[in-house]
Amino acid sequence: MGMVAGIDIGNATTEVALAVREGAGMRFLASATTPTTGIKGTKDNIKGVFHSLSIALDKAGRKLEELELIRINEAAPVIGDVAMETITETIITESTMIGHNPSTPGGVGTGVGITIRIEDLGAASAGDYVVVVSRSHDFAEVAATINAARVNVTAAVMELNDGVLVNNRLDHMIPIVDEVGLIDKVPIGMKAAVEVAETGRIVEVLSNPYGIATLFELSPEETKQVVPLARALVGNRSAVVIKTPAGDVKERRIPAGSLTFHGITATAATEIVVDVDSGADEIMQAASRMREIHDITGEPGTNVGGMMEKVRVTMGQLTSQHPRDIKITDMIAVDTMTPKQVSGGLANEFSMENAVGIAVMVQADRLQMQAIAQDIAAQIRIPVEVGGVEADMAIRGALTTPGTSAPIAILDMGAGSTDASVMRADGTGVSTHLAGAGNMVTLMIQTELGLDAWDAAEDVKRHPLAKVETVFSIRHEDGSVQFFDEPLPPHLYARVVVIKPEEGLVPIGVDLPVDAIRNIRIRAKERVFVANAVRALRRVSPTDNVRDIDFVVLVGGSALDFEIPQLVTKALAEYRVVAGRANIRGTEGPRNAVATGLALSWGEQ
Amino acid sequence: MDQEALRKIIEQAIREVAAAQDQAVPAAQVPAASSVAGSGEMTLTENGDATRGTDPKEVVIALSPAFSSTIHETIIGLKHSDVLRQICAGIEEEGLKFRFIRVYKTADVGFVAHEAAKASGSGIGIGIQSRGTTVIHQKDLPPLSNLELFSQAPLIELDTFRAIGRNAGQYAKGMSPDPVPVRNDQMARPKYQAVAALLHNKETKLTQKSKKPQAVQVSFN
Repeated sequence: MGMVAGIDIGNATTEVALAVREGAGMRFLASATTPTTGIKGTKDNIKGVFHSLSIALDKAGRKLEELELIRINEAAPVIGDVAMETITETIITESTMIGHNPSTPGGVGTGVGITIRIEDLGAASAGDYVVVVSRSHDFAEVAATINAARVNVTAAVMELNDGVLVNNRLDHMIPIVDEVGLIDKVPIGMKAAVEVAETGRIVEVLSNPYGIATLFELSPEETKQVVPLARALVGNRSAVVIKTPAGDVKERRIPAGSLTFHGITATAATEIVVDVDSGADEIMQAASRMREIHDITGEPGTNVGGMMEKVRVTMGQLTSQHPRDIKITDMIAVDTMTPKQVSGGLANEFSMENAVGIAVMVQADRLQMQAIAQDIAAQIRIPVEVGGVEADMAIRGALTTPGTSAPIAILDMGAGSTDASVMRADGTGVSTHLAGAGNMVTLMIQTELGLDAWDAAEDVKRHPLAKVETVFSIRHEDGSVQFFDEPLPPHLYARVVVIKPEEGLVPIGVDLPVDAIRNIRIRAKERVFVANAVRALRRVSPTDNVRDIDFVVLVGGSALDFEIPQLVTKALAEYRVVAGRANIRGTEGPRNAVATGLALSWGEQ
Repeated sequence: MDQEALRKIIEQAIREVAAAQDQAVPAAQVPAASSVAGSGEMTLTENGDATRGTDPKEVVIALSPAFSSTIHETIIGLKHSDVLRQICAGIEEEGLKFRFIRVYKTADVGFVAHEAAKASGSGIGIGIQSRGTTVIHQKDLPPLSNLELFSQAPLIELDTFRAIGRNAGQYAKGMSPDPVPVRNDQMARPKYQAVAALLHNKETKLTQKSKKPQAVQVSFN
C-alpha cells in the first residue's frame, strides 16, 4: 500500500495532502496547513514542511516511515514584493493658511481683519482685527480682553484648545480656530480671514476661490493663484487664510523616476518607459502593451530605481543569485492616498497625498525546489520528487470540487501573487503568474489608514468591522445591532473594532467612522483582486477575451476571505463568467488545491 | 511638599486617630442640610440629595468626602479650585454641561466615579479624590472597572485634568478619544506613599456609610 504526501509551499502557507492508493484511485487520509517558514522557494521552507507533514501524519495516525513518496510543487514561478511611493506633497509658504480641523473650534461664521497679538489689542487703532492668542493666556482672560476691546475683533486664532470656552464667554459670537501648534509663526499685521462652519458642515467661503477673492478683493490673476489654497481647505470645518505678499500653497509632484519595461509587444522586442508620477493607470497601460515582459528596471538614482534595486538585492540574497540575474516579470501599480504632514503647516496639518503602490514579481530559480527536495530526502530518507507545474496541479486539485469539469479556469489568489490557468477539455492548458495579491491589499490598507503596524492592517483586511456603541452592544458594519449579556471590557468602549473569530473584538487604533474604513478595505480589495482577476483571465483566455472562459474556480488563501470571492464573482458576472469559491475534495474549501493535485497526479502515473 | 508641611499633616493625622480612639462612639458628624465649604477661590454649597440626571449632554463630577472640605490641594499642591476649573473647561470645550455631587459612603475613587456615572444623564462620570487621583467611569461598567484611571496622583498636572474633562466629554458624545497619556514614575510611589496614606486616612474618616450622594453647587470666585 503506497502512501504519498503532496506538499505545496506557498507564499504564506505550507499545505499537505496525505493519500493512499486504493484500487485505481486515491483515498485521502488527512490534510494540514501551517505558515510557510521563510520566503517561498528558499531552504528556510523545510522547517515548515516538516511541521505541516507531522501534523497531517498525526491526524491520520500514520508514521513517517510509511510514506512511499513526497511530492513537492514545482514552485518555480514567483516571489512577490510590495512597495509604496508618495508622488505629491503639499507645501505652504509664508504660513498663508491653517486648515487642520480642530475637533472643537469656537463660534460660527466668517471674520476678516488684520492679525494682531492679543497683548497689543489695547494699543490698536480703530479697525477690524483677528486676535492671535498664545498658550500663556487663560480662556477667561482672553474673553474678558476681547469683550473690553475698543476696536472690532472679528475672529481669533488660538494655540490651546480653548475655542468653545472663549466663545461661551464673549458678548458677541466670533469664529475661533484653536489648537494651532505653531502660533508664533502666524504672520502679524496681515489681512486674514477666519471661517468656522456649524457642526457637521464644512467651510464654504474659504474653500471657494471666488469666496477668497471677495474677502481679499483679489484681481482675476490673483484669484487663479489661490485655487490650490481653496482646494486644500475643502472638507474642513474651520479654516484660516492669511494674505501675505509671497504666500502660497502648492501641490508639488515629487519626481519619483521612471520605469522601463523590457519585453515583446505584439510586433517586436522593445522597451517602454513610463514615469511613476504619472500614476498607476499609465503604468498599467504600458504593462498591458507588452505581450511578454522580460524585465522591469527603475531609473537609477531615483526613488523607484532604489525600490526596484532593493527587490533585486533581497531576492538575490534569498535565492543565492547575483542581483543582476534577477528578472522582474510582472508588476501591478495601484493609485492610493496616504496621509502626510503638510510642510510649512502651522497646526500639524495632514493632507491626503497621492501615492502609487507597486507589487512586483520575480522569476525565481527553478533549481531551488530541487535543492529543497534533496535536503528533505537526505533528512528523512524518503524519496522526494518535484511534481508538475504548480498551476497544473492546482487545476487537478480544483477539479475535485463538486460540480466542476474541464474546460475550466482557476484563479489562485494567494498572498504574494495571483495565478491563473486554463485547462481545456483535451487536458492541455496555459497558466500565468501576476504580481499583487493579499499582501498588496494589506499594504494599501496600511498606508491609507496611516497604520503603524502591518498586523493591524492585516486585521482590518481579514475581519468585518463593528463599533462598540454601549457597554452592552455593538453595531456591525452592515448596521445591525448585537447585544451582550455581560458588559464588554472598558478598553473597547466607543471604539471601532474588528471581529476576530478567536480573540473576539479587537480595537483598531483608527479614529474614522466604520463606513470610511470599510470603503478603504473594499476598494483596496477591488483594485488588487478584481483588477488582477480580469488581467489574469485575459492572459489565459484562448482569445484574449475574458468572456470566452465559462467556469472560474477561486482557490488560494485569499479565496478564504469573507468578501474577496464575492467581489470577484460580482465583477466577473459582468463578463458572463461563472465564478465561485472552490471546495477541494468537497471538504477543504479553497485550500489544499495544489497539494491535492500533487497527490492525485501520482495516483495516475 | 516640604518637611514642615509633612510634619504638620502627620501630627494632625495622629491627633485625629488618637481622638477617634478616645471617643466611645465614633464621630458621625451630621452636617446641616446645606453646608458651605470653600478655599477662597471656590465655594461649594451642598443642596440635599443628588438627583439622577436625564440630560444626555451632562457629565457628572463626583467629589470624595474631604475634597475642598478639609483638604484643599492635591498631593502636589494644585489648588482644588484650579483642578475643578480645568476639568470643567475640558467638558465645556466639548460642548457639554457639568454637574457636581459629593459622595459620602466611600472614599474609594473607583466607586466615587461609578456614583458619578450612575447619576449622569450621559452615563459618563468623573470621580476625584482630594489628593488628585481620578477615574473616568461609565454607568454600565462594573464599579471596579473603568474607562480611564489616573492612579498616580503626584503625576497629574493641570493639563492632565483638562484632558480628563475633554475625554469624558468625548465619551459622552460617543466619540472614541485616545486615552489621556499618563506619565509613569517609579519614584512617585516611595516618595509620596506616606503622604498619600495620611491623606487617604483623612478622607476615609469623613465617610458616612448611610449618607446619600449630595448635590453640590460650585461657584468659582
